[in-house]
Amino acid sequence: MASVIEMKGNQQELFKHEVETTDMALFVRTSDEAMLGWDRQRIVDALMRETYVDFDTAKEIAREVEELIATSKIKMITAPLIRELVDTKLVERGLEQARKMHTRLGMPLYDVDQLILHPNKENANVPHGPEATNLTLAERIKKEYALLTVFSQEISDAHMRGDIHLHDLGFIDRPYCSGQSLEYIKRFGLSLPNSIAMAKPAKHPEVLLAHMVKFAAALQSHFAGAIGWDSINLFFAPYLVGMSNREMEQLAQMMIFEFSQQAVARGGQAIFTDLNLYWEIPKHFENVPAIGPGGEFTGKTYSDYMEESQRFAKALFDVYQEGDGSGRPFFFPKPLVHITEKFFQTHGHTGFLDHICDVASEKGNTYFVFDRGETAKISECCRLSFKLDQTDLEDAKHPWKMRYCALQNVTLNLPRIAYLAKGDDAKLFSKIAEFIEMAVKAHLEKKLFIEKLLSLGEKGPLALLAMQRDESPYLRMGRASFLVGMVGLNELVQIHTGREMHQSKQAFKFGLKVIAHMKLLVDKFSQRYGMRFVLEQTPAESTAYRFAKLDLKFHSPRSGHIVKGDISKGEVYYTNSTYLNNSAVLNPIERVRQEGLFHPLIEAGALTHIWLGEARPSRSSLANFVIKTFQLTQNDQIAFSPEFTACNRCHRTSRGLRSSCTYCGAEDVEGITRITGYFTKLSSWNKGKLGELRDRYRNQAFFSEKDERMAVDA
Amino acid sequence: MGFIKIFTKAKCPKCPAVKEIGKELKKQGVSVLTYDLDTIDGLAEASFYSIRSTPSIVIEDDEEREVISWRGVVPTLQEVKQHLLPLTPSLSPSLGRGEG
Repeated sequence: MASVIEMKGNQQELFKHEVETTDMALFVRTSDEAMLGWDRQRIVDALMRETYVDFDTAKEIAREVEELIATSKIKMITAPLIRELVDTKLVERGLEQARKMHTRLGMPLYDVDQLILHPNKENANVPHGPEATNLTLAERIKKEYALLTVFSQEISDAHMRGDIHLHDLGFIDRPYCSGQSLEYIKRFGLSLPNSIAMAKPAKHPEVLLAHMVKFAAALQSHFAGAIGWDSINLFFAPYLVGMSNREMEQLAQMMIFEFSQQAVARGGQAIFTDLNLYWEIPKHFENVPAIGPGGEFTGKTYSDYMEESQRFAKALFDVYQEGDGSGRPFFFPKPLVHITEKFFQTHGHTGFLDHICDVASEKGNTYFVFDRGETAKISECCRLSFKLDQTDLEDAKHPWKMRYCALQNVTLNLPRIAYLAKGDDAKLFSKIAEFIEMAVKAHLEKKLFIEKLLSLGEKGPLALLAMQRDESPYLRMGRASFLVGMVGLNELVQIHTGREMHQSKQAFKFGLKVIAHMKLLVDKFSQRYGMRFVLEQTPAESTAYRFAKLDLKFHSPRSGHIVKGDISKGEVYYTNSTYLNNSAVLNPIERVRQEGLFHPLIEAGALTHIWLGEARPSRSSLANFVIKTFQLTQNDQIAFSPEFTACNRCHRTSRGLRSSCTYCGAEDVEGITRITGYFTKLSSWNKGKLGELRDRYRNQAFFSEKDERMAVDA
Repeated sequence: MGFIKIFTKAKCPKCPAVKEIGKELKKQGVSVLTYDLDTIDGLAEASFYSIRSTPSIVIEDDEEREVISWRGVVPTLQEVKQHLLPLTPSLSPSLGRGEG
């Protein structure tokens, strides 16, 4: 809100000479809609309040600025302009620190205008509209704030240069993403700080769902990224006893529709929701006393609710299979099914696997998470996962304690490191260590900032995260992860060895060396600081594009031969994280196996995509693939991604990406497929991702469309 | 001539036994490569073979294909030599202690 200072016309004569402030008939329109007279003392007050400038200098600056205004011929001066004039005086005196502290944050008028009119493509999950524009504007300011005060100059510069990427700067006052337990609201009801009404623990499943949705919305305003729910079908189960199929179906529909709608909470976005589902009763919950209606212990353990848990899982997938009102796949919530050894020992798993594979082929929704051996994982984000260790397994006895988060993600520009190393191995590995050290520093800086906000407790800005209903604050800082991501391993290897990872064994092994190096480093830092630094496969929706663009600027001509995509169209990108080149012609099981070799090193989670194009594989062919992946590879997680075209005229959906509708011929169509870890419309994709889409090798011939066990239905 | 790759880690109780096997085989002219999972090269190589536990041993033929592996267990020297013999004709079939 700009304050306006108006010079009264007939007073201008007076300003030709030195005047006392009381004679200056300048009026300032303030933000609380009052009119005040000009008073240069306000400049002094601001400098004293906001910076460490001493009183005499402040007075001097105020006088100089007043004289400048007085002798100028401007008729209307705004407060922001006065602030800029004060800033120049600080710069003239070499008071850089004070200038930074006194600076105004914001955007040029022109940019705001453009923003309101044209959609922002940085995040394909943000629709275009007033709420979204509000979100973007606020994010811009918070981003500037973050780079100026939360992070040191060294780190901010590294981010601006594109050595590293600090994710979600516009959400600097929040953690990154999280894993939640429904048990918390089952037990404590819904009593959020700053809420107008308090709700006791739910007695009925519909009410529990309502609580969950509201809580998810509240969480979405406290986390930058995904909200993941652990074992959701299991935790609902005690409320589903005695439900008819029809009722179960309706509850499943309600859940999916609630989480798939836009404009629920912030920015007009859908809440990025992950539902973790189990066919079996996870070992660590077998003997845990179950919480049921009213938040009371039912007297049984979770093992006793297998039937309801399984029925609910099936019902959810029935809804996914149908798709939405026009047959499109649901973009959210995302169903993540955990495949474990116990899965294969649990009765009915074949039928369920067929069902979820059918959905994977038909609509693409299913994520298959592989928990091999004794590990249990709570997957959150597109691929973030928390491995449960001994302490967590203790917590499992009181599941409402199982709340996890990642505080921040910092991603390294691997190709950049390779350009800088100029082919020298020692230099390459040393630069990697340097960059990781920067990432660690960035994490320490953000942690400090969040702790400052949390220390203000339930009356502070992060009240929900500080609220304490059990023995710890809602956000358990001691269990937080600090992510170190990477983009473009493939290109690093290409620059350094001359070959891409899929082109030779040596090149591939070199890629493994790089990640092994990173893993050993983050482990060392974890020990040194007593914090969990872990590697993550950054989803890199826009980071892969950003890094490619910056490297074209700073490392041409070499980068021109390395970046992927079409330079002439500006659709450039680096291969995501540790992936093999998207366009490499590889048998999908080979791709899954090879990419999977990296997964054990990437503790926070990884994923391999299998692009299907318009193919519609049989459920048994996918089921066989899933089983093979579990048994023969180390791959953490896979998702099959078909492509669709939705028609805006007749509202029908067909398979494959087309320029016109197969049903009515209209050209007003939308392409839909997975961007990184979620489905969305192509019209919201950034150029880099569009470039990658063109390059994706679609495994259309690999899978059989005939069901080996059941008759094919035309 | 085949390769034998031995994977160990610092605080691993069963690893010294496997290192001994490696030493014996080296004496007998077998190409033995040892990898320490606490090093970059070691961890990378172990990842390539999906080795998660130590000690582990992998035997490869001339075409770098895996012939047999022991993961997280300690085989006997005899067992190892048995599988190496077809690949390394010059290897003496006896246990080799004290022999040239």
